[in-house]
Amino acid sequence: MPFTLNRRQALIGLGAATLASQARIGFAQTPAAPISIVINQSPWLASFSATVDLYQKETGNKVNLEVVPFDGMLEKQRNSVRASQGDYDILILNSGWFVEMYYGGFVTPITEIDPGFTLDPGIFTLGDTIYFDAEKKNMTPEGKLMTLPIQPNIPMLYYRGDLYQEKGLKVPETFEELFNNAKALQNPPQMYGIVQRGARGANTVSYDFYPYLFGMGGAVFKDQTAGDYSVVLNDDKGKAALDYYLNLAKEAGHPKTASQDQAQIVQALVTGHCAHASLVIAAYSTMDDPKQSAVVDKIEYAPTPHAPGLQPGPALGHWLGGVAHNVPDDRKRAAVAFLSWFQTRDAQIANLKAGGIPLNATVYEDPLADERQNRWMKPLAAALPHAINPYAFPEATEVVAVLELGLNRAIAGEITAVDALNSMSDDIYKIMEKYKYKTAELPKLTA
Amino acid sequence: MTQAGISTASIAPLARPARPREDEKLWRWLSFSPALLLMLAMGALPLVNLLATSFFDVTWTSGSANWQPVGLAHYRELPADPLVAAGITNTVLFALGAVFGQLVLGLILALLVTRIPRGKVFFRALFILPILIPGIVVGAIWKLMLNYDFGLVNQLIGFAGLTAQDWLGDSGTALLSVIAVDIWHWTPFCFLLFLAGIEALPNDIYEASRMDGASPWQDFRYITLPLMIPTIAVTAAFRLVLAFKVFDEVYLLTGGGPGTATEVISFTLYQRFFTEDKVGYGAAMAIAVIFVISLLLIIGLQGRRLGRTA
Repeated sequence: MPFTLNRRQALIGLGAATLASQARIGFAQTPAAPISIVINQSPWLASFSATVDLYQKETGNKVNLEVVPFDGMLEKQRNSVRASQGDYDILILNSGWFVEMYYGGFVTPITEIDPGFTLDPGIFTLGDTIYFDAEKKNMTPEGKLMTLPIQPNIPMLYYRGDLYQEKGLKVPETFEELFNNAKALQNPPQMYGIVQRGARGANTVSYDFYPYLFGMGGAVFKDQTAGDYSVVLNDDKGKAALDYYLNLAKEAGHPKTASQDQAQIVQALVTGHCAHASLVIAAYSTMDDPKQSAVVDKIEYAPTPHAPGLQPGPALGHWLGGVAHNVPDDRKRAAVAFLSWFQTRDAQIANLKAGGIPLNATVYEDPLADERQNRWMKPLAAALPHAINPYAFPEATEVVAVLELGLNRAIAGEITAVDALNSMSDDIYKIMEKYKYKTAELPKLTA
Repeated sequence: MTQAGISTASIAPLARPARPREDEKLWRWLSFSPALLLMLAMGALPLVNLLATSFFDVTWTSGSANWQPVGLAHYRELPADPLVAAGITNTVLFALGAVFGQLVLGLILALLVTRIPRGKVFFRALFILPILIPGIVVGAIWKLMLNYDFGLVNQLIGFAGLTAQDWLGDSGTALLSVIAVDIWHWTPFCFLLFLAGIEALPNDIYEASRMDGASPWQDFRYITLPLMIPTIAVTAAFRLVLAFKVFDEVYLLTGGGPGTATEVISFTLYQRFFTEDKVGYGAAMAIAVIFVISLLLIIGLQGRRLGRTA
């Protein structure tokens, strides 16, 4: 008997076949496990959130953002990674504590979760801080891939382009040029030539001071990558950097630099009372927002200045995304799937369009970088390769606390630059000696 | 044998309280023990844990904690810590300055409100407003008010022809500013206790003094103040203990700066324990702080007892 189908049977069969094929497609694209990302309340949260929404839409995977204030972020992460099972799959790690997480074994290397993972060649490696060699205790590409950049944040020089045009000033490349320009625009209290971040905080005045120290060829330690933690803060370059920083504040800065924090600098800029500031690039979006700024389209950007013959020395204030060690394997894989998507050019274009800062160098070559609202991109791309990781050891918070106190006291005029450098160097040396690092100290500076 | 006609044998059993039977004692302990155990678990165990931690250095490798015994090393380090020295000095100055201001202002306000014939409820509500405001809001309000560039305080003194001050950023004024904010925030607490105390004072004494021709100042000096001493002592003890624990105002207004001008011991503890993650050292500092505050509390309570006896 021949096998025949009537029209109705044929239609049913066709429908069943379609359903089966859909089911197969569905099986092939099984959604990854839902993941949770702990992130701080920051100016770039909105763009990150929009990019995450796009990921969810494109893949159907679920991502929960646990948004916490910056101040409570580290404690939340510590509590999560030290528990038997973590709450957060992806930890958004700040430059201030990612080393602690690496050393503590709290982050699972990405390539251990997915051996086939390849880093997009356009990704900024940000001082190679995305790698870590647990045995050699250093951060070089020879180590394991621990994290991916989420936010390549570094300080840039914000300056008033309109005033530069008015006065015929040249964009400063050297410290001397910055000083002269700031002095030329100094007219307090209507206009401060520069506002520096001199307050004592968790990583406030020290973060503001690094571009001056590094840009003059100075450093806190002799050679961290080689494991030489000899304190060189109080050498001639350190002295020149602090003298310059104090003089800049005195001659062309805010009269109360010792109490200026990042929020006050942003305020001074957007209210039109500040001609220059060294500020993290993440704050750029505020400058052109007419709801928040009186200087829309007037702020321009440049790499932080340097001494003649040297390169800019912006310190990394970046954010990295790492996978927590104490979450189930399926969630680890889902976390890597997200990071893998996030590093792509398309995702980073979406990130830029949402107001974020791309972490893929190819985006900076896109025509989007030539648009007026993205005028910060080219200077940032020029500065990023020179970004310096100030600390590559987990006890860095103790060193930062010493710098915060010493620098703030020098700016407030409580002690001289020489006394500040000597006392800070001595305290840092003691910290490094206590933790048994290879260290030494220079002879004391004399006034 | 009889004494004044009453048999001593007959009153002896009444004079001596009946001794509880053994099973009653056991029952009392059994019924009391859950509360006792709960109190121990809630109060003593964390303290014991903190004390034990203070004898260790805690580091993390491969996701696990390593506990390294260090004996009394952390306690020996405390006096040499420059932030601890500054923290203790500033905490004492802060506590004494703030509490003194709050007691004086609180008492004055309470006396004034007691004397007004109408609108007591309104003024009482008005004066207690600051205490109802969360610490974070107090910090935000005063950070704006005391801002050098556009703060209301500088604008007001500018109208008076005076020079603007960096209230929170100048070493000479920062601690005073934080004390002033604390006085503003906590005076209502003293005001409320004093108001309750004054309203509970017996009226007949005042009537008698009026009949003797005493002036309002004499009323205050010889009647109100002596009778209010126990209330003032208790209020001062409470406020001193709270003032020694000050953290939020310093954290929000100055971050301990400029330099160490407003460094207080709780802020130092926060930095060492949480920011720097020096758990063992932070625990030692916490034990030392708890010891000092407990000592203050005991002294305060003893003072109150002595006041009552007097």
